[in-house]
Amino acid sequence: MIERYDFFSYQFRREASKELRLLSIVSQTFFQPFSFEDNLLVILTALTSGSGVGFNRAMLFLAERQVLRGQMWLGPRSPEEAKNIWEILSTPGIGYLEVLEYNRSLMIESADVLTNRVKSLSYSLDEENGLLPVLPAQAKKIMLVRDARNEPLVDKKFLEILGTDEFLCLPLVGGGELVGEIVLDNAIIRSPIATRDVELASICGLIAGNYIYATTLQRKLIEMEQFAAMGEMAMHITHQLRNPLVTIGGFTDQILGGSLDPGKTKRNLEIIREEVRRLEEIIFELGHFLKVEIETPEPIKISKIIKSVLHSPEIRRKSHGRAVRIELARDNPPILCDQTYVREAVRNIIDNSLDATPQGGSVTISARREDKKWLCISVQDNGKGMSKEVLKKIFVPFFTTKEKGMGLGLIFVRRVMDACGGKIEVESREGAGTLFRLFFKCCPTEGEK
Amino acid sequence: MKKILIVEDQKSLCLLYEEELTKEGYEVVAVNDADSGLEALQKTQFDLIITDIRMPGRDGIELITQIMGLRKDIPIIINTAYQSYKGDFMTWAADAYVVKSSSLRELKAKIKELLKK
Repeated sequence: MIERYDFFSYQFRREASKELRLLSIVSQTFFQPFSFEDNLLVILTALTSGSGVGFNRAMLFLAERQVLRGQMWLGPRSPEEAKNIWEILSTPGIGYLEVLEYNRSLMIESADVLTNRVKSLSYSLDEENGLLPVLPAQAKKIMLVRDARNEPLVDKKFLEILGTDEFLCLPLVGGGELVGEIVLDNAIIRSPIATRDVELASICGLIAGNYIYATTLQRKLIEMEQFAAMGEMAMHITHQLRNPLVTIGGFTDQILGGSLDPGKTKRNLEIIREEVRRLEEIIFELGHFLKVEIETPEPIKISKIIKSVLHSPEIRRKSHGRAVRIELARDNPPILCDQTYVREAVRNIIDNSLDATPQGGSVTISARREDKKWLCISVQDNGKGMSKEVLKKIFVPFFTTKEKGMGLGLIFVRRVMDACGGKIEVESREGAGTLFRLFFKCCPTEGEK
Repeated sequence: MKKILIVEDQKSLCLLYEEELTKEGYEVVAVNDADSGLEALQKTQFDLIITDIRMPGRDGIELITQIMGLRKDIPIIINTAYQSYKGDFMTWAADAYVVKSSSLRELKAKIKELLKK
């Protein structure tokens, strides 16, 4: 017997414990494509919304370079505002996500007085005899303060801004490191903070701590990778530019030396012209490679594109002595992409195949619908093929086996495919040939829309 | 007359080196890939080799490794557009590392220095 369940069913929402519901809401939200700042707001929303823990206000501090700095503060500014907000938010049908959306618009308002106030607060984590709110962060312990006015361990400036006598400090820890702290209170309804609320808040604190830790780490890693990639790229670009420049410089020096006969001077000038053309090509290709963006994919008739590529002078010249076969299905639907990019991608693949195929060999280009969603363009040759080692590197920028190649063609094709939600596949056997397949999304027909 | 082998995949650069080094009084053979370089080495006793690193097919480092197996005594100059390989231990097997420049002064000086030894 098989029992089937839906994720997040009505039953679950009604019967699961508040802790479980909170856990599922917060963890699901972190997988939405929200920004870091948005997700911080998610944490605060979970702590303050009625379907979450239900505190009145939540103040967030982040720890960076041994300083605990005020970041955002979420909550109504006055009992009147609270009444209005809670009325709106208690409307039937308003759920957690609607609350989050509301809070986001609240934070965007430049006149967010609460956040501006909390941003003026910062505490050194190295400070000896630190007062609250830095003390819980230093000790990595949750602290609930009642009767704060008579508590000597509370910072007076902080208390003045907070304006309430009872609050909960929740340090945020991830990977064993302190990453921040959240201060929660019920300043509007002035109800005491219950132990159960502390427990619920601690669940959020655990998730938030680990989320902030992982995101910060990931940001640092991405930055490091970007630097390394930039260094590598700069090295290859320098190489590509230096070769023609050295040739231009060398042949110019020969002319300037004054001892060349007119024939050689003309030859040198022709070489220089050719190298300048190459420099232009490099710059064109680099520009192309660096910028692949498709804002609105448009419907494109692929057969037309393939035919126009095959008619281009360069491809016609390279096709000489090779059998080029075309198999285009008649009922191919239009694909979704950018016309210029598709043309360039198809041209790249055909150009590579022709380069790899010796005189007498053949290249077959076909386009047909794979299924409802995909159209596949395949380019098959019986040329020299690629070794496993070469195959592993073909999408590495600047890797090339051609004498004058930049090594950017295939990575460009892959970027185009990524940009339009398609994919590229390749099979190759050394000595037997290569098959490239480009899968494009079909444009939905009227009935499918 | 001292014989120099140049292995460089950029044909126009090969031509430039060939002419400039011939003017300096050397006998120059220029080829465009590592395999042709090895072939030339089997036929002729060269006094010095100049090679690029990045070439289609076998690269310059592979070529140097092969040459070491054939003739350990022959001086080798790496001539490349990459500045950053200079510290690479694989390039230590060569006797000199000259970054490509439109002024051939450094390359010519290195050749002179190595052939004097």
